[in-house]
Amino acid sequence: MTDSAPNLRWAYMDHWRVDSPQGYVSQYSSLERIDSFLKQVASLGFEAIETFDFHMGSFIDLFGSLPNARAYMQERGIDRVLSLFFGLMFDDRQSQPHLRSTHDNIVRHAEYIVKSAAGLGVENLIVMPAAQYHAVEPVSDDKLKACAEVWSRVGKMTLDYGIRTVCHHEFYCGIHHLDELRKFYGYADPRYVFWYCDTAQHTIAGVDPVKLYMELHDRCGGFHLKDTHHVDLIGDYRQRPESEVTAKTTNRWFWEMGTPEGLVDFPNLFKAMKEHGYKGWVSVEHDKADFGGNYPESTAVAAWYIQNVLKKIYR
Amino acid sequence: MSTNIRWGYAFNQWKQGWQGFARVEDHIRAFKGTSAAGFRQIELTAFPGPWDPVGRPESIAINFGSVKKFATQLPDWGIDRISSWFLDVGQLSFEDLHFGLLPTQRAQHAAILKQATLHAEALAEMGGECLVVAPFPHFYREGALDAERMQAAADCWNAVGRVTKSLGVHTVLHLDALSALRTTQELDQLLTLTDASCVNLAFDTAELTIAGHDVVALYRRYHSRVRHFHFKDALETDTLGEYKLPHAERAMILAGGARKVQRWFGELGTGKVDFPALLAAMNELGYNGLAIVESDKGPAPVMSSVLLNSWYLQRVLKVLPLAA
Repeated sequence: MTDSAPNLRWAYMDHWRVDSPQGYVSQYSSLERIDSFLKQVASLGFEAIETFDFHMGSFIDLFGSLPNARAYMQERGIDRVLSLFFGLMFDDRQSQPHLRSTHDNIVRHAEYIVKSAAGLGVENLIVMPAAQYHAVEPVSDDKLKACAEVWSRVGKMTLDYGIRTVCHHEFYCGIHHLDELRKFYGYADPRYVFWYCDTAQHTIAGVDPVKLYMELHDRCGGFHLKDTHHVDLIGDYRQRPESEVTAKTTNRWFWEMGTPEGLVDFPNLFKAMKEHGYKGWVSVEHDKADFGGNYPESTAVAAWYIQNVLKKIYR
Repeated sequence: MSTNIRWGYAFNQWKQGWQGFARVEDHIRAFKGTSAAGFRQIELTAFPGPWDPVGRPESIAINFGSVKKFATQLPDWGIDRISSWFLDVGQLSFEDLHFGLLPTQRAQHAAILKQATLHAEALAEMGGECLVVAPFPHFYREGALDAERMQAAADCWNAVGRVTKSLGVHTVLHLDALSALRTTQELDQLLTLTDASCVNLAFDTAELTIAGHDVVALYRRYHSRVRHFHFKDALETDTLGEYKLPHAERAMILAGGARKVQRWFGELGTGKVDFPALLAAMNELGYNGLAIVESDKGPAPVMSSVLLNSWYLQRVLKVLPLAA
């Protein structure tokens, strides 16, 4: 390790909620709550947050404008909203990546989001590139091509706004098996479509994220580092209505880095990143950490793991 | 004048209820999270019974093999050492067979000395420097102090201080908002009666503020005897003199008193304590000792409070390096 500028900067993908006298609410529901949230995340060394596109309305509500929101974040040590997760409403009538009839609408919607995000410092639009598996199957080559086509169009468009389109494959996504992933990235235009490596989601889906990174490193636009204690061995990815919250395997798929039962080999991933010279942002994500835990503690434990394990391998 | 402030975090707030936070893995998570927030020294709180793996030396031995082994494991979790141990001998103790001891009663001094020695020996093994004790019972229990009881308490802590000093541990007296000791005149008297070579003060910024003191002025007055701080903010002060209420710990602190105060203690920078002025005074006067940040009786989760305090120390007081 040297004293030279680090190769990696750290961001935090936000799923937080907070207890309040009004109940369990979004931290974007008041200035005091967002102030507290930003300070907590910044105190652990995270320099950016990632959040969902639908929170932009709260930012404007609270701060008057997105540049004002960013300035407020910067005063507390958070430089930007690095990424927005595209809250696409998957539906055959309007937004279904494997259905070409909906592509114009998806592109229009995505353009509205990235245009609206000006001022937050957004660098990535994170998308789930296909609907839930049960809505897509049987997953054919033509459906994968259709998905690749629409995200290539979206990716070309978002670059005009200085934003990359990165694909994030939930374990229940219509594109999550290894052969589906390989075909999708084969079909998608490498100039416009990037891969976001969610370590837990791929592991649950039975795909080794380290091996996948070795294959797709030149397409990798970032990471969501989180762990899991389970692999989906019983086809929970088909579970209706939603595999993350109604699965039979477990009621808590996702864990912070550093739990003894964790299945993701983060040290090996960081060795691979070092080998391939990855430079840029790395994000930590805690999704549903409040199932038997809480977000601040999970975030602090993950920060400990970064400081004491990962940075010793690659920083 | 050179300043050497050794920052740490107290673990008191993690223990909520008798049987919560009772597992070793809970503590390891708390150690790691606290370390990630920039605090590498921990103050333990003495806790009786089998429900706290670090509540007593015997509990540490049962859970970690021995006190020494526990101390050597701490760096694995990002903690350099246990800096101090808070011991309130006024609390019941199953192991020591009492329902709370009174330093103002000479007949109880031997038992206090025994309990304090037990903790100080273990603290010394862990490299700690301060045994933090409550020098007097609460006012509602003791009433106003007189010369005889003041002398008795001073004799008690001098005896404890001599023993802990021989172990390399300093005894520091922690005054809280409900203490029988109320005034600077009484504090002057206490300090005159105690041996400065082994018995000094722990200043709790919130407790003293709630009790009506100006902490900065008080520190300037007594700085030569202050070896330990608890850094926490006070959101209210005891304007009604409710420290006199029967069972004030419950009636005033937990129930909020007549004003129904929802929360007395807060994160740094959210209340009435002027921390920049206090830090300036500490630097000016060359403070050399512990500054233990404390979360106390705030809403869950505890880690939120730790992180908010860390942020304040990093970005407002600028005494912790920015996390990176």
